[in-house]
Amino acid sequence: MRRHQGVDPLRWGAEIGLGLYRSAVLTALTCVMALVAVPVGVGGSALAYSWSDGLSAPFAVSMLATLGETLMVILWVTVSLWVVHPLTSRALATAARRCAASWLGLDYEVTYRQVPPVTRMATGFWWDGHEYHKSEREARRKAKMQARFHDPQLHWDGLWALVATVTVLPVAALPLLAVGYGCYMALTPELTGYGIAVIVAGLAGAPFAWRVLLPIGRRFLGPVPSTRLGRRVEELEAIRADLTHTQAVELERIERGLHDGAQARLVAMGMSMGAAERLVDTNPDAAKAILAEARATSATALAELRSLVRGINPPVLAERGLVDALRALALDSSVSIDVYSQVPSRPERPLESAVYFSVAELLANVAKHSRAERVKVELTYAARTLTATVSDDGIGGAAASTGSGLSGIERRMAAFGGRLEIDSPAGGPTHITVAVPCELS
Amino acid sequence: MRIVVAEDLFLLRDGLVRLVEAYGHTVVAAVDSGPAALTALVDLRPDAAIVDVRLPPTFSDEGLQAALTARRAVPGLPVLILSQHVEQLYARELLADGHGGIGYQLKDRVLDADQFMDAVHRIAEGGTALDPTVVAKLLGRPNRADPLATLTERERSVLALMAEGLSNTAIANQLFLSEGSISKYTTTIFSKLGLANDDDTNRRVRAVLAYLGADEQEEQ
Repeated sequence: MRRHQGVDPLRWGAEIGLGLYRSAVLTALTCVMALVAVPVGVGGSALAYSWSDGLSAPFAVSMLATLGETLMVILWVTVSLWVVHPLTSRALATAARRCAASWLGLDYEVTYRQVPPVTRMATGFWWDGHEYHKSEREARRKAKMQARFHDPQLHWDGLWALVATVTVLPVAALPLLAVGYGCYMALTPELTGYGIAVIVAGLAGAPFAWRVLLPIGRRFLGPVPSTRLGRRVEELEAIRADLTHTQAVELERIERGLHDGAQARLVAMGMSMGAAERLVDTNPDAAKAILAEARATSATALAELRSLVRGINPPVLAERGLVDALRALALDSSVSIDVYSQVPSRPERPLESAVYFSVAELLANVAKHSRAERVKVELTYAARTLTATVSDDGIGGAAASTGSGLSGIERRMAAFGGRLEIDSPAGGPTHITVAVPCELS
Repeated sequence: MRIVVAEDLFLLRDGLVRLVEAYGHTVVAAVDSGPAALTALVDLRPDAAIVDVRLPPTFSDEGLQAALTARRAVPGLPVLILSQHVEQLYARELLADGHGGIGYQLKDRVLDADQFMDAVHRIAEGGTALDPTVVAKLLGRPNRADPLATLTERERSVLALMAEGLSNTAIANQLFLSEGSISKYTTTIFSKLGLANDDDTNRRVRAVLAYLGADEQEEQ
């Protein structure tokens, strides 16, 4: 219920109208099972209990007969629901899901089983993904039936229909019944007062009754719990594939760096020294010159190795951990960066490295795109989550889609169950947060 | 001079010992771990020490920590820190006590024996020997702390070389100027940075500290 100052009759009127409408929709969407089960149950019991009408037998026998008849009625109700369920559940649940999405923002993505293609086997039989058939038509029909009626999601929707019939339906129908019955009573001369009271009660309840959809829908309208797990597996598989790919690319980069850099220079040094060895007796001056050159080459090789190592595992990160590594990074940056930290201890090394490189990338982005003058990096640890926030006073407008850098960070963090939050309105300021769950003491 | 060498790689330690002895100095201890380095520094009080940043047992910054701890116990104990990489962060920490006698150099510098031993001599005399890479990184930083903004281009380059630990003569040679004009520049720098007229070496160290922006972290 939205709260507002004072009593606004117009607003109340709108709420009540909306509530009545939504209650009516929910009643319509959840009454099907009741409409089938109640007549079958009532009619069935009238029929079944008539069998033992003229029975005059000892008490135990008549009790047994009643029990049998009751079981019969239950069986009939169950069978009737079992027939109604595959025909209606999917449509009703889909409609209810749409209502939940537009009224309550409960957005559930649900996938139903697709009809699998049929294939002709070498034996001449047709395979529908489940069993063999003699003709293609038969196989297609079976495949369609299989997908339609043996879908776990359909049965989950059926459970929703059943649960909603006994929970959502009575609550949602209440204001409608109250208004309807109240009108009837109001038109009966001696009950007018009571009738009006019942109508008022029904109208007052209307804005609230339909909200019963929230708790029940949250529990039963989503995808089947087992596919939820399946989806998580898919996500994790994607992350793993991503990781292996990143790793391969990284290894290739390192290999190329070593191959074209240090390795080549060591070969050159070896050759120069060989030449110097030959020249040292006959032409000492030339040998000296060659050796000096070799020493210069070794210095270059060292410098290359150093920058390569910095890209793999920055020395300060290895020696001091995340906070000091970021401080060192801040000192080397062309922008003025302040680093604040409230992290009690060092996280696990892989996590530390991922957070470091993410923040390093964010800072590089700031230097490249933001035109910021002051940057703040804050590291905090609360509620088992390590959070790094990079804030700048630049031009803003950062988004994960425009730069592959940000989505790269997102992927890097996803591997640790972390996330990336971007708050960067055009014109700035920008706050980007990397949050990742971890255990620190 | 009596020198302590702390380095965990045998080849490099051996090389350093030989290098130092070839220049006529005595190696009083050659150790290979952080705790051993700390003991040697505090107990033997050498005239100079050459210490690797990364040492066993943790292979983090044990050597650096040993040097910092030793210098807290023995203020001004000359230490030359060697590392595969140089960081402004570490340079600031080393210089923060304001005592001088500190060097921080890339291991590559060992390749040039003369220059390396020159750096060892400088720190033994209470000067500084910062790697040009650190100084270059500092130079690359725009909008440095305010008192430095008043320095002219020439004064800044003199200060940069001073930060590396060079003497006036060496600076004069590098910039192709006379020693007299260098000493005029240094006087201007000292007065612009508001450094009182005391011992010259000490003032040079403090000028470098001002340059690093590290002086604001301590009380002077």
